[in-house]
Amino acid sequence: MSEKLTIRIDGVECECEKGEYIYDVARRNNIPIPVLCRSDAFSDHRACCRICIVEVEERGKRKVVTSCVYPISQECDVYTKSEKILEERAVILSLLAHRAPDAQRIADMNKAWGREGFERLVTIDNEKCILCGLCVQACDSLGTGAISTVLRGTEKKVDTPFDKPSEFCVGCLSCANVCPTGAIEFSQDEKTRTIWNRTFDLLFCEQCGSLMGTPESARHAVGEGEVPTVCDACRKKKLADEMMQTYRYV
Amino acid sequence: MINGTEKILVCCGTGCIANGALGVADAIQAELDARGLSGDVEVSAQVVRTGCSGECEQGPIVRFMPRDLMYYRVKERDAAAIVDSLDGEPVQKLLFKKDGQTYEHMADNPYYALQHKVVLKDVGIIDPLSIDDYIARGGYEGLKKALAMTPDEIITEVEKSGLRGKGGAGFPTGRKWRTAAGYDVFPKYIVCNGDEGDPGAFMDGSTMEGSPHAVIEGMIIGALAIGAEEGVLYIRDEYALARDHIQHAIDDAYKAGILGESIMGSGHKLDLSIVRGGGAFVCGESTALMASIEGRVGEPRAKYIRSVQRGLFDHPTVLNNVESLASIPTILRDGGEKYAEIGTEGSKGTKVFAMVGKVKHTGLVEVPMGTTLRTLIYDIGGGIIDDRPFKAIQTGGPSGGCIPESLLDLPVDFDTLTEYGAMMGSGGMIVMDDRSCMVEVARYYVDFLCEESCGKCTPCREGLRQMRAILTDICEGRGKPGDIELLERIGRTMQDASLCALGRTAPNPVMTTIKFFRDEYEAHIESKECPAGVCADLTQFAIKPDACTGCGLCSRACPAGAITGGRKEVHVIDPAKCIACGSCREACRFDAVLTERRPA
Repeated sequence: MSEKLTIRIDGVECECEKGEYIYDVARRNNIPIPVLCRSDAFSDHRACCRICIVEVEERGKRKVVTSCVYPISQECDVYTKSEKILEERAVILSLLAHRAPDAQRIADMNKAWGREGFERLVTIDNEKCILCGLCVQACDSLGTGAISTVLRGTEKKVDTPFDKPSEFCVGCLSCANVCPTGAIEFSQDEKTRTIWNRTFDLLFCEQCGSLMGTPESARHAVGEGEVPTVCDACRKKKLADEMMQTYRYV
Repeated sequence: MINGTEKILVCCGTGCIANGALGVADAIQAELDARGLSGDVEVSAQVVRTGCSGECEQGPIVRFMPRDLMYYRVKERDAAAIVDSLDGEPVQKLLFKKDGQTYEHMADNPYYALQHKVVLKDVGIIDPLSIDDYIARGGYEGLKKALAMTPDEIITEVEKSGLRGKGGAGFPTGRKWRTAAGYDVFPKYIVCNGDEGDPGAFMDGSTMEGSPHAVIEGMIIGALAIGAEEGVLYIRDEYALARDHIQHAIDDAYKAGILGESIMGSGHKLDLSIVRGGGAFVCGESTALMASIEGRVGEPRAKYIRSVQRGLFDHPTVLNNVESLASIPTILRDGGEKYAEIGTEGSKGTKVFAMVGKVKHTGLVEVPMGTTLRTLIYDIGGGIIDDRPFKAIQTGGPSGGCIPESLLDLPVDFDTLTEYGAMMGSGGMIVMDDRSCMVEVARYYVDFLCEESCGKCTPCREGLRQMRAILTDICEGRGKPGDIELLERIGRTMQDASLCALGRTAPNPVMTTIKFFRDEYEAHIESKECPAGVCADLTQFAIKPDACTGCGLCSRACPAGAITGGRKEVHVIDPAKCIACGSCREACRFDAVLTERRPA
C-alpha cells in the first residue's frame, strides 16, 4: 500500500496517495480545474493544452505545473486560482480562442476564465482544432494508428499520412467522438460514411436494421474472430431467447 | 634540415573543406611525392588531415609541427612554397597579421593565446580518423584509470571537477550520474546529445569531427559509472562529416577491444551506435530526443519524472552533451581537482564558443569559464568588422538573449548572465554591430522557432504564432501602442506554462530585446522609424554628396539598378527603384550611404 499524504489545495486539506496527480485529487475534492486535452479514457495524458496549470509550493519554492500529470511526492500547497494562474490561464485560453475561433467550447471557457486585452491577436479562419491530440491517442489506443500529428511548429496538424486516405482507418469515429471541440469532420448518408478522405460502407444489423458502424470497424473489433451480423442488442436478445428455450422444460 | 619528424597539418573541418582544404592537402601531398619526400623511410614529412583549428574565417589553415608555423588562407597554388619552407624561411604572405605585426607561431597569435583548450586540445592536431594519433596524445588514459576505479570513485572524481552540463542547462554531471547509478533497473542507457541546432553554432559538430574518440571515451567512462551496457549517439542529419568520423572511431574502438564484450579486457561490456536525427531543432531537447530514438514523433513530454529514472524506453538514462562528454577523459586522467582549478566558483572548467557575425575573427574558441564577453569579442575575436560600434551579442541561440554593451564586462558562466535576464546557453554567439535592428533580430528568432517548435503545447505554438504576427507588424510599420506590453504578457506565460525548456525559453530573444532595447521598439511603433536602417518598409537610403567619391561600388552592389552616377561623380539613389536592401551601405567604404525614415 502506498504512502498517504495530506496536501492543501486552495487552503483545503486533501488526503491523497503519493504519486497521485494533483488534478485527480482536486476533482475528488470538488475543486474545479479546467482541462481540455485530458480524458479519463486514457491513463497517459499529453499535458499539451496547458489549461490545467496550477501553482505548487514545495519546501518554500513555488512553481507553475500542469496538474493533470504532476505527481504529488511530498506535502505541498496547491493554488488553482492565484493571480498568476488566472492571468496565464487567460492568456492560454485567448491564444486557443484565436487559433480556433469556431470552437464553441473554447469560446465558452474563454467567457468563464478569460480576460481582456487580446483584440490585437490574429485568428485562423474556420478553425476548430486546438491540437489537443486526443483523437491521435484514441486511434493509437485502438491499435489502428491511422492518424497522427504531422509537421511541426505553427504548421502542426492532425492528419493521415500525406493527407491520403489511410488503409488503417476503419471509420469507427472514435477520433471524432473524443474531440472536445467537434473539429473532426465526417459525413454520412443512408449507405456510406466519409471520414479522413475515405468513404466506408455502413453495416446494419440483419435483424433490427440498426446501424452497427462499418464492416472495417467490425472486423477490427473481433480480430481473427467471426464478424457479427447482428447488433449487440439483438445478439443479447437472441442469446436470452435461446436460454429461455433451453431452460423452458427444466 | 628535414629530420623526419615533420608533420604538415591541414585543417579539414567543415569550414576549411568548404574553402578548399581537401584540394590543398592533395596539392601538398603531390608536391611531397614529386620531391620524393613522402613514403621515404629517411624523410617522412606527412600530411595529416585534422579537425577544425578554430579560426574558420581564415581557412584553410595549414600548420607545421614541430616548428609550429601556421599558415592561413592557403590555396592549392601555395603548395610548392609551403614545402619549400619546410626547412627554409616561412612564407610571409600566408602568416597571420594583425595591426602591422606578423605572427609565425600559433601560441603567439592573440586568437589562440587567450584560449585554454581541454575539449578541443586534440582538435586540429590529430588525424580524427586515427585512433593511434589520439592514443599518442594521452587518449584512453582516462579510461584506463576509470577501469581501475569503482563506479562510486569515478562519480566522485566527476563531482570534484564541478563539471556542469555544457549543453546550456548547467546541471551538475556528477549528480546526474550518481542519481542514475542509484537505480537498480536494467538495462540502463547512456546517450550523447549531438543534435546541436542553434543557428550559427558548431561547437559540438567540430568536436565530433575533430576528436571523435574523446566523445567515445567520455561515454565509456559514463557507462562504467552508471552501469550501462548500451549507448547511443544522437547526431543530427546535417552533420555528415561528424557522423562519418564518429562511426569510424566506433569501428576502430571495437577493433582495438575498447568497445564490445570486454572493454580493454576488463569484463565490462558496452555497445555504442549512432542514431541519425532528422534535423529538427526540438530533438535537442532531452525527452524529444529520446522519443525520436524510440521511433516516435519528436515531441517532449512533461519531465516531472526525470530521464535518469525513466528515460529511453522507460529505463534509467543519462543524457550528456558532446562537450561535457569530451571533457570527461581529461578529468579522469588529470583528476577532478585539476579541472576545477579552471573557471569560476560556480562554473568550473572551460567552455567552447562558436563566435560568428560582425566580428573580425569568426570561429571556434575555448576559454575558461568566467571570461568576459569583452575579452571574447575584442581580444580574441579582434573586435567588430570595420571597427563599427558594437551593439549586441546574441548568446545561446534561439533560447538565449541579446546582451547589450553595458553587460560586456560580466563574466560568462552558467549563472551570471541569467541573473541579468540573458543566458550563456550552449555556446553559440552572434555578434551584431550598429546596423542590426533588434526588433528584426527578435522577429528572425521567433520565425525560426515557429518552424522549429514541436507544436505540441499551446503557449509555445500559439504564443510564437502571435508574437511573429505582432513583430512582423512592428517591422512593417503597423505596430500599435500596447504591442510591447502584449508581447511581454504572452512571453511571461510562455516562460511559465510551456511544456519543455524550448518553449519556456522561446520568448527570450523578444523579452531581452525589449528589456535592453525598448527604445528601438518604441521608435518602430510610435514614429514608424527603424533606427538601425534595416526594416525596409520604414527606411530609405540616400547618398551624402560630400562623402561620396564616385567609386561606383554601391551601384555595382545594387541588385535593383537604383543607383546612378558616372566615375568620380556623386552617385544618386532613385527612391522609386530602391528596395531598401542595404547592399549599397554594406559596399560603401566611405560611410557615404545614410539611412533615413521613409515617409509614410
